Amino acid sequence: MASSRGGGSQQVIRTGDMEKMSLDQLKAVKEQADIEVNLLQDSLNNIRAATGRLENASAALHDLSLRPQGKKMLVPLTASLYVPGTLDDADKVLVDIGTGYFVEKTMAEGKDYCERKINLLKSNFDQLIEVASKKKTLADEAGLILQAKLKQSSPSS
Amino acid sequence: MSSSSAALRDLQLDLENKANDLSKLQKGKPNRTLVLFIHYLLSKVSIEKQFCYFFPPDIAKNHQVRKKYTIQLGENELVLKELDLLKEDANVYKLIGPVLVKQDLAEANANVRKRIEYISAELYILKVQQRIQSLQAGKAKA
Repeated sequence: MASSRGGGSQQVIRTGDMEKMSLDQLKAVKEQADIEVNLLQDSLNNIRAATGRLENASAALHDLSLRPQGKKMLVPLTASLYVPGTLDDADKVLVDIGTGYFVEKTMAEGKDYCERKINLLKSNFDQLIEVASKKKTLADEAGLILQAKLKQSSPSS
Repeated sequence: MSSSSAALRDLQLDLENKANDLSKLQKGKPNRTLVLFIHYLLSKVSIEKQFCYFFPPDIAKNHQVRKKYTIQLGENELVLKELDLLKEDANVYKLIGPVLVKQDLAEANANVRKRIEYISAELYILKVQQRIQSLQAGKAKA
């Protein structure tokens, strides 16, 4: 059984081990696994949200690149206040690359940046989803065995 | 003056004992790097710093701070990767408060590198602290 060694020093718990555990131990394992599953789920949601934002940005860039120079538009100052403006230069964009740094890029480079980030996030997402599903099956198994044990220990009910 | 230096000596001895205790605790599965590091600390670092290592704040706090720094390190590494991809003449701006200030690419690069250096060093300290903490916790249980 080739289990990946990533994800810290967590010992790999197998179903066989769980059968031998006491009720309290099993409960602890189940709780721990549930917490981890939730944590991973949160991370997955965050990644999904970030990907969505980047896709929005990419679409906005694409939209902007289609407009000719001097195009009239309304610029939102607040959510309900718009002022008229004209498009000056759609070829140069400022990209926030994090920790307060902005870089001036051309339209093509900006799009490329978005694509790259989206791909990076996607690959992270795929890795994470694998870990998450493994954890999920572990938590489910622990839950099943716990229930079976509880039934065994109280046969009168 | 002499009394304070005597107190200092006492402190040093205390710390040395602590380090020896720790290396004894390691006997089960010796970790040369950690032991060497502890001795390095004893020889090189100021007393105040040594105290930070051997009497660190609690484990939960350590974990929290470590998480924060790990996130920051990741973010800075992403920025550095992005800066490395740029051409020489690219315009880089730094957000200072509400304004964007133009900055040299080389300067920005150096800044981020420095930051990564600092954060990695801090992370390393936290990692050692955590090792020491878990050893101490193990000792308290035994």
